[in-house]
Amino acid sequence: MAPAAAARTGRVVLGTSCTIQEAAAVRAHLLAQAALPGPYEIDGGSVELVDTAGVQLIVAFALDCLEKGVAYKWSGRSATLDAAIELLGVSPLLEYPA
Amino acid sequence: MTLDLTQFHEIFFEESFEALDSMEAALLKLSAGEVDAELINTIFRVAHSIKGGAATFAFNEVAGFTHVLETLLDQLRAGKRQVRPDIVDVLLRSGDAMRAMLVATQRKEAIDSAGVAKLRAELERIMSESPSAAPPAAATAAPSASKSVAASGSPAPAPGWRIKFVPGPELLRHGNDPLRILRELATLGKMRVSVDAAGVPALTDLDPEVCRLRWNLEVLGQIDRAAVQAVFEWAESECELTLERIGAEPSAPAAPSVATAPAPEAATAPVSAPAAEASTRSANPDGGSIRVSIEKIDELLNSVGELVITQSVLSQLAAPLEGREAGELRSALAQLERHMRALQESVMRVRMLPISFVFNRFPRLVRDLGQRLGKKIELKVTGDTTELDKTVLEKIGDPLVHLVRNSIDHGIEMPDVRTAAGKTEHGTISLHAYHKGGNVIVEVSDDGGGLRKDKILAKALERGLVTNEVELSEERILNLIFAPGFSTADVVSDVSGRGVGMDVVRRNINELGGHIQIFSTQGQGSTIRIRLPLTLAILDGQLARVGKEVYVVPIVSIVETIQVTRERVNNVASGGQVFRLRDDYLPIVRLHSLFDIEPDYTDLLDGLLMIVEADGKRVGLFVDELMSQQQVVIKSLETNFKQVTGLAGATMLGDGRVALILDIPGVITRFQAPEERGIAKPQAA
Repeated sequence: MAPAAAARTGRVVLGTSCTIQEAAAVRAHLLAQAALPGPYEIDGGSVELVDTAGVQLIVAFALDCLEKGVAYKWSGRSATLDAAIELLGVSPLLEYPA
Repeated sequence: MTLDLTQFHEIFFEESFEALDSMEAALLKLSAGEVDAELINTIFRVAHSIKGGAATFAFNEVAGFTHVLETLLDQLRAGKRQVRPDIVDVLLRSGDAMRAMLVATQRKEAIDSAGVAKLRAELERIMSESPSAAPPAAATAAPSASKSVAASGSPAPAPGWRIKFVPGPELLRHGNDPLRILRELATLGKMRVSVDAAGVPALTDLDPEVCRLRWNLEVLGQIDRAAVQAVFEWAESECELTLERIGAEPSAPAAPSVATAPAPEAATAPVSAPAAEASTRSANPDGGSIRVSIEKIDELLNSVGELVITQSVLSQLAAPLEGREAGELRSALAQLERHMRALQESVMRVRMLPISFVFNRFPRLVRDLGQRLGKKIELKVTGDTTELDKTVLEKIGDPLVHLVRNSIDHGIEMPDVRTAAGKTEHGTISLHAYHKGGNVIVEVSDDGGGLRKDKILAKALERGLVTNEVELSEERILNLIFAPGFSTADVVSDVSGRGVGMDVVRRNINELGGHIQIFSTQGQGSTIRIRLPLTLAILDGQLARVGKEVYVVPIVSIVETIQVTRERVNNVASGGQVFRLRDDYLPIVRLHSLFDIEPDYTDLLDGLLMIVEADGKRVGLFVDELMSQQQVVIKSLETNFKQVTGLAGATMLGDGRVALILDIPGVITRFQAPEERGIAKPQAA
């Protein structure tokens, strides 16, 4: 009997725009990925436009991970996203090691 | 949900235009040599908040240009550059450019990019010059404070601001992004950010459009409170904000053109600001007022008008009743009437705005035109808190601009001419507003050369406006300047002198139910006096009956009322009749013919002739009888029916009848050219 395939882990992929305009869609995507087993991967390499609403969603996702004890890692973070994270002072909240 | 930022555009435009007005007023004070740090701060704040708003709404051209302007203003504010007249000129033009860009953006029209680029280049050229200013006072004050602290043995904290920023639930939805705010704060000085994420719920419970993050920030540097507050300007009513100064209060504001030594108090200034320095601004600082659309106020006014009419109907119904209870009813109705009047006045006051809204444009006009014409002119404004109905204010602006331009161009003489005439080199133009007898009077005066009556008369004779046979009074001669196309200007300039204008000015004033008069003394100056009604919603009217109909004639249009005698009436070839009134022959307008109704009298000897005037034309209105005079609430015919030439509106009388309000210029037009408007020509009798 063939071994069962390993369950797919969650992978968050942020689009080029991650602002209040897309907030509902980003939240749905985050919730969908959070329903999958961890550890998670977050890819923010394509983000060109971001605002506080977008960053707050990532923070909420990261805090959920922290609470559930599920690890995540960043596979990419664009300069724009990096700058926003630094400016809003949330960098320490997004560094839960995988 | 997608946030539709366009819903905030109108508020942004409205607030930006108001802010540009304050900026211009502050620049004009700078121009007059009054340099103070608060003025520069005011100007900077305007540029800064418009830039922030424009960036939020992606009005990139506005934001880009304003950014350059803001950079120059920041240099002035920091004392890195001195305020010079040529810089003030460029700043004034930059304000104009911002206004034009905003207007174009608001109307979705193309921005004059070439003009903007040229101005931008001028701003950049100024910024590329080597700075020549003295060091800012605040910068020199700081070391002193540090020294004092060092002597006392405790290290001085770096100066700056501690800011607690708690976004409200609507902040994000209203387009205020904390990321943008923090980015702007970071430009003021070194910033330390500490975020509080305790309020962020689980992702499943998070409303992504509500900001649950809070911040404790420190921005370090010699930064004044206004600059920090300006960053939060657009968000201040939607967040809790606490500012606390870190370190000593600066000893003096950063005065841009004045190199000052540190104030002596700096050395002994307290190291930490008192607790009272911290200010929480969770509420709107302008909490004493709200913005309400004019339509809502008009609806309210209209409803009150209806109530006044109903109350009047009730009073008439109660009048014939008898007995004790009828007396009590009348007493209660009298009380109701008092309350209704008070209510009506209160609602009318809501529509009132100070005339400064119009007067504020004149300092700039006088400055620019005076400079262009090489004249030295001082503008004096008094009574600018006098209030007028918003609609009247909006319509009085252009006529006043015309009058002031005329005073600058034709009234005030060149400095050498004034000196030769024994006058001061500086001419004076005065704007004066005041209340008189239920009206507002606005006067535009100048101490220039005055009107040349001989020249006016000669021109009028040349143009056939008057004949040599009639000797005209001084007033009639002066009034000739209101004739269409009349101008005595020797030189037609682009400022004035084409004769297009004074007739339009008078027509505009008349359309407002106002009246214009001229007083002039040759060599000493002129005064134009405008009488305006307080409001357009209520009219002082004379009730006149024709058959079963009652008409309201605006009292402002009535010259006199007379009984006709046979020998003064002449029939003319065209089938009409004229009436001789002293030296004039006035056409007789039979209202019953004009409006096709059945009168009581057709013989002129039986009725009355009301002499009315509009646009300098007088006619005699033939009516059956005069009734009372009263204030009437004007109801628009256009809104409720359709526009009718000769009628300004309608009103309801106390007995419930509808009375039509005459528009005298329209009555004259209807009488003179009925065919042109598809109106059957009225019969002579």
